[in-house]
Amino acid sequence: MNAEEIQAIFFAECEESLAAAEQGLAACKAGTHDADTVNAVFRGVHSIKGGAGAFGYTALQGFTHTFETLLSDVRDGTVAITDPLVDLLLRALDTLSDHVSAARGMGDTPDDTALQVELTAAMAANAGAVADDAQAETPAAVAAGDGDSAPAASSAVDDDFGFDFDAMLDDITGAVGAGAGTAEGDEGAAGGDEQAPGDNLWLFKVRPHAGSMRNGSEPLLMLREMIALGGACIECDIDQIPPLDTLDPGTGYLGWTFGFPPEASQDSVREIFDFVGDECGIAVGEGAPMPAVQFPAPRAANPVPAAAAPAVARDEAQGVQATPATTPTAAAVPVADSAPTPPPQQQQAAVPAPPAPGQSIRIELGKLDKLIDAVGELVIAQAMMAQRLAGDGLAVTEELAVLEGLTRDIQESAMAIRAQPIGSVFSRVPRILRELTTSTGKHVRLEVSGESTELDKTVIERLGEPLTHLIRNAVDHGIECAEDRIAAGKSADGTLTLSAEHRSGRILIRIADDGRGINRERVLAKAIEKGLVAPDVQLSKEEIDALIFAPGFSTAQQISNISGRGVGMDVVRQNVKDLGGRITIESEEGKGTTFTLTLPLTLAISDGMIVNVGDQTLVVPLANVVESLRPDPKEVQGLGAARAMINVRGRFIPVVPLHLAVGARGAVERADEGVLIVVETERAGRAALLVDAICDQRQVVIKSLDTHYRSVEGVAGATILGDGRVALIVDVDGLVSRSLSGQSLAEAA
Amino acid sequence: MSTTTRILTVDDSPSMRALLNHALTTQGFDVAQAEDGIAALDWLALNEVDVVITDINMPRLDGFGLIEKLREGSRHRDRPILVLTTESSEEKKARARAAGATGWIVKPFDPQKLVAAVRRVAH
Repeated sequence: MNAEEIQAIFFAECEESLAAAEQGLAACKAGTHDADTVNAVFRGVHSIKGGAGAFGYTALQGFTHTFETLLSDVRDGTVAITDPLVDLLLRALDTLSDHVSAARGMGDTPDDTALQVELTAAMAANAGAVADDAQAETPAAVAAGDGDSAPAASSAVDDDFGFDFDAMLDDITGAVGAGAGTAEGDEGAAGGDEQAPGDNLWLFKVRPHAGSMRNGSEPLLMLREMIALGGACIECDIDQIPPLDTLDPGTGYLGWTFGFPPEASQDSVREIFDFVGDECGIAVGEGAPMPAVQFPAPRAANPVPAAAAPAVARDEAQGVQATPATTPTAAAVPVADSAPTPPPQQQQAAVPAPPAPGQSIRIELGKLDKLIDAVGELVIAQAMMAQRLAGDGLAVTEELAVLEGLTRDIQESAMAIRAQPIGSVFSRVPRILRELTTSTGKHVRLEVSGESTELDKTVIERLGEPLTHLIRNAVDHGIECAEDRIAAGKSADGTLTLSAEHRSGRILIRIADDGRGINRERVLAKAIEKGLVAPDVQLSKEEIDALIFAPGFSTAQQISNISGRGVGMDVVRQNVKDLGGRITIESEEGKGTTFTLTLPLTLAISDGMIVNVGDQTLVVPLANVVESLRPDPKEVQGLGAARAMINVRGRFIPVVPLHLAVGARGAVERADEGVLIVVETERAGRAALLVDAICDQRQVVIKSLDTHYRSVEGVAGATILGDGRVALIVDVDGLVSRSLSGQSLAEAA
Repeated sequence: MSTTTRILTVDDSPSMRALLNHALTTQGFDVAQAEDGIAALDWLALNEVDVVITDINMPRLDGFGLIEKLREGSRHRDRPILVLTTESSEEKKARARAAGATGWIVKPFDPQKLVAAVRRVAH
C-alpha cells in the first residue's frame, strides 16, 4: 500500500466523519444533544484532525484543532449547547468540509480566520465558568475522606514538585551549558571554550522506581536505548540494596549515572523517560543528586514487605488500599522527582461507549464488481442448465429448485454488498439548504424519511447531482419568500420533504415542497414563446408540467445564481434516465410541488419481458411495461398505410411494430395477429409495441453495449439468455420516440 | 530477538491503521489491526501479540477501557501497551498511565519515533 492509497482511505474516511458529524449536529439542532450525539460529532472532527496531522495538511489540521477544542468543551459540558452555538458549529462543519475538499485538491483553502475567532470566542465566553468548576471540584475531592481522596491529595503535592522540578532543570541545564560538570574529571575542559567533542560528557542520572517495572515496562530496554544514543554507564548506585531477607524485588534499588557526549541531545534522552512519567526518577548534571529510592509503603493488611510486585501494582492502580500518608508517591520526596502528575483515580468513570455501529470492512470496488460479474454469469449458467434439463424432460428436479434458490440468494447477497443507504445522499441536503438560506433569505425546514433505504452504490453516486438540482429548484422557484407565505396563510418557513422507499423492486424518491406550485399559465406561455410547443396546442395539466423538462426551458424571470447555473431540468431528467429511472411531477397551485424519482435498485440486473419478434428475441424492461394484450381486430384502427392505433379502454395509443424498428424478418405484421405490449415512455407518452409472442418474464443480467460494442440508439444493452443466445434489451423510450418520428432503428444503426 | 515482534494496532480510523501498518511492516514488524477496543479484545482472545498500540477515542470501547480490561487478567498484565493519540494533556497521560499504559505516543507520529517506542517496550 502506498501513500496515495492511504490518503484515499483518509479522504473516504473524512467523508464518513463529515457525514456523521453533520448528522449529529442536525440531531442537536432538533433538540437531541445527549452525550452520545455530541460525542459522535466530536469523534468525527477528531478523526479528521488525526489524519490531517499525519498527512501534513496544516490548514486542515489547524482548523480542526480549534473546532475540536470547542467541541471538547461542549462534550465536557463546559460550553452549553444553544441554538446559536449549533448554528456556529454547523457553519464550522461547512468550512471543514471545504478544507477537506481543498486538501484533496478540489477547490481553494477557505478563509477561516473570522470563523476561528468566533469558535475561540465561544470557548472564551465560558472560560470563567470552567475555572469556577475546577476550583469547586478539587477541595471536594480532597475532603471526601475515603480511599479515593489519597490520589487527589498526592496529585496536588506532585503538581508542586512538578513546578519546582521544571525550574530546577532550567538551572541545571544552564549549569551544564556553562561547562560546570564533566564526567571524567577532564580539568582542561572545565574552563576552556575549545573542548574536544567527546571529552566533555554531561551526566544523566536515573533510578527506575517500582512502577517502571509494571505495565509491561522494562528499565533495561531504556538503559539500552541510552547506550544507543551514545551514553555510557559510569556508575551504578548499589548503596540502597537492602539485606536479602528484606529485599523487595518490585522496588528499584539501583540508580545509574550515564555520561553522554555533547552531541547527544538532552531532549532525546529525556524522551526515553518522558514515556514512563514519574515511574523513573531522573536528574541531569553532576551536581544533581541521584533520585532517591521509593520504598513501597508497608501494607496494613499484609505486613510482609516482599509482596509480589503485580499485587502491589494492582492495588495501587485501583486505589483500594492506598493509605494517604504512605503511598509510594507521597512518601518519595526527592526534589528531582519527575514532573508529571500522578494518575487521578478516575479511569473507572470511562467514557460511555456509544451504540455500536455495524461493523464493516473496506473492499476495493474492482473486486466487488468482479464478484457481481461472476454472479451474473452464474445466473446465466443456471438458467442455461435449467433450460437444457427441461429439454431432456427433467424440469421438475428438486436439486434444480434448490440450485435456483441458492443462485437467487447469492445474487441478492452480492447486490446487497453494493447497496448503500440513501442517507449518505440525503445528509448533504442540510448544507445545501443552509447555503440557499444565505443566498435567498428563505428559511426551509427539512423533513426526511426512509434514509436507510438501500440502493446500488453507482446509483447513489450519480443521484447526488440531480437531487441537488431538484432541491435548489424547489427552494428557488417553489418556496415563496416569507411575506408571500404569510400572506397565503402559510407558516413563514417553508418545508421540504425528502423521502425514499422501496416499491415493487424499484426505489421511489420524493422531493416535495409546500411552495406555490407550478404556474401552468406561465409555463405554457413560456413554452410557446420559446417555440417548444405550437401556440394553439391543447395540453393536459401533466403535459404542461412536463414542459419544464424540455431542453432550453427556464421560467425564472431573472436568472438567479442558484438554479440558473446553466443546468436545466432537462439535464436532471437525462441524469435520472441514464440511471434507468423516471421522473414525474405532481403540482397543485398554491399547495406545492412533488417530484418523484423512480429508480432501479441496481444497474446490473433488471426485470425483463422476453419477447419474440420474427427471427429475433428481445428483452423489454419490465419497468416500462404497463400491460400486455391480444387486441380484437375491431380495436385496431389503421392510420395511413403503415401506421395503426389501438383503442385501449377508450384511449388511442400508437402501435409500434418492433420488427420494423429492429429489422427482424418473418414477424407478425398485423396488430391483431400478435401481442401488444403497452409501455410508458417519458418523451412520447404511451405506446403499444407489437411483438409475435411473449416467451418469459425474468431477471436479466445487463451487459453494456458501450463497453462490448458501441452505443446504439434504441438499445439499452444486451443480455445472455438461458440457451446462450444474446438478446438485445430495448431502450423503450428511445425506440418509441424514434419510431413515431418515422425513423427505424435499422436506419439509425 | 529471534522471532518477529507482533503488534496489534487498535484505531477506529482506517487511514490511521493503514499508516501504522505501513510504518511498522516496513520495519519488519508483524502487524494485526482492530478497529476498536471490543474488536481488539476479540482478537486478543484468540491470538498472541508482543505489543499493543491503541488509540484513545474510539467507539464501543475506548483505549482506557481496553487497557483496563487487559490489565485485569494475568495474561496481559505485563504486555506492553502503547497509547497513540492526538491528546497530549497531562491529565489524559496520567489517566492512561493509571489505567496501565506502558507508553504514550502523540499523533501525528514520526515513524522513526514510533518504531523507537515499540523497540523500547518490546521485550
